[in-house]
Amino acid sequence: MSGFDFDVIQRSVWYLFRDGMTFTVTLTLMAMAGGIVFGTLLAMMRLSSFAPLAWVAGAYVNLMRSVPLVLVIFWFFFLVPYIGAWIIGEKTPIKVGAFWSAVITFTMFEAAYYCEIMRAGIQSIARGQVAASLALGLDYWQTMGHIVLPQAFRNMVPVLLTQTIILFQDTSLVYVISATDFLGAAAKVANRDYRLVEMYSFVALVYFVISFAASYYVRSLQGRIAVIR
Amino acid sequence: MISIQNVSKWFGTFPVLTDCSTEVQKGQVVVVCGPSGSGKSTLIKCVNALEPFQKGRILVDGISVGDPRTDLPKLRSRVGMVFQHFELFPHLTVTENLTLAQIKVLNRQKDAAVAKGRKLLERVGLAEHRDKFPGNLSGGQQQRVAIARALCMDPIAMLFDEPTSALDPEMINEVLDVMVELAQEGMTMMVVTHEMGFARKVAHRVIFMDGGRIVEDASKDEFFGTPRSERAQLFLSKILQH
Repeated sequence: MSGFDFDVIQRSVWYLFRDGMTFTVTLTLMAMAGGIVFGTLLAMMRLSSFAPLAWVAGAYVNLMRSVPLVLVIFWFFFLVPYIGAWIIGEKTPIKVGAFWSAVITFTMFEAAYYCEIMRAGIQSIARGQVAASLALGLDYWQTMGHIVLPQAFRNMVPVLLTQTIILFQDTSLVYVISATDFLGAAAKVANRDYRLVEMYSFVALVYFVISFAASYYVRSLQGRIAVIR
Repeated sequence: MISIQNVSKWFGTFPVLTDCSTEVQKGQVVVVCGPSGSGKSTLIKCVNALEPFQKGRILVDGISVGDPRTDLPKLRSRVGMVFQHFELFPHLTVTENLTLAQIKVLNRQKDAAVAKGRKLLERVGLAEHRDKFPGNLSGGQQQRVAIARALCMDPIAMLFDEPTSALDPEMINEVLDVMVELAQEGMTMMVVTHEMGFARKVAHRVIFMDGGRIVEDASKDEFFGTPRSERAQLFLSKILQH
């Protein structure tokens, strides 16, 4: 292994995790929370009997799922400042910054995928459950909030978490807007010290260990949370 | 109490209900029977607007069900319904099943709702099961909880949609007993069922449906004596053999 300098990892590991991994994990968790909330609303729209609502949600989901993520990241990065300015009535583009731009992008993008998961989850709840809830006098929102969504969500937790693991890996794409996520931080060190192979190998290993451990956990969770019928 | 006037319903161009008219007076028990696909479940679901209908009128306590201005949740909260497949909420405990609508729809205090739930659970003989989840109860027990859940709302009438047809034979009686008791107390009931023993015991009237029409609407004695229509005679001869 002569010629390789694995010492560079030891020298930079604190920086990689303190700055890089914090960014990556925060982004992942925020995008997951936002994506699931927005995705659930989209799913409810898609399943609405009011056609225009279903159409709008369907178009959004299909659009997001048909364009490459890198493109969406670029697109939002350059567009969000203008949209923000337009919303608050400023003339000049507002400053958003790489982090918040990334949070918005991933929330919007992942919502399309979470939407499809929640849609399947909602459809997995027997129609009789809705009928029983309505028959008791609960309205649409109460039925959704107390009966359908809790069951749908519970059924779909393993799939939602699996999607979140994919999201965790996808966040590394923020390097295209020069954000310092885990990969971005490693890239900076790699370029500075000219230790590309060592750093990228280490990054790959860390992503693998975290994602693999998380998938393993999701599998073990699957059996434990099922609702008895 | 329940007045069904010339109700018709189509799925696309296929007629499921054709010109159905009948009345259920306060305190009456009306049994609806007929072969499968005859529209009896659909008819009973029209009464609390779980199924829409295209023609005719249904009045429940004087309120028109099909009128778009009717406050449906309020109307439904006053009409209890029991389903073929129980439809207890599997993610909630028995007590939560009994109290959810009391709290959310009738705005009762939690303590009052729990007390009411417990009283009705005792009445159906399941008080000791109040903290269990529905999945841990037998079918007969689940259906009794479902009846208690509907009764918690102090309904003015009860609708039963084939309440015993998903049950194992040995559990049918425990559910029917509860229903008979309810009928004898004077509850207004509309019951879709094939349990002719139940009909003989407590029904005031029997409605026989076939092909989406009410073919026979007669007092119990008339119906079990000699039904006027051949179709009903044939149906009775088939299900009473056993």
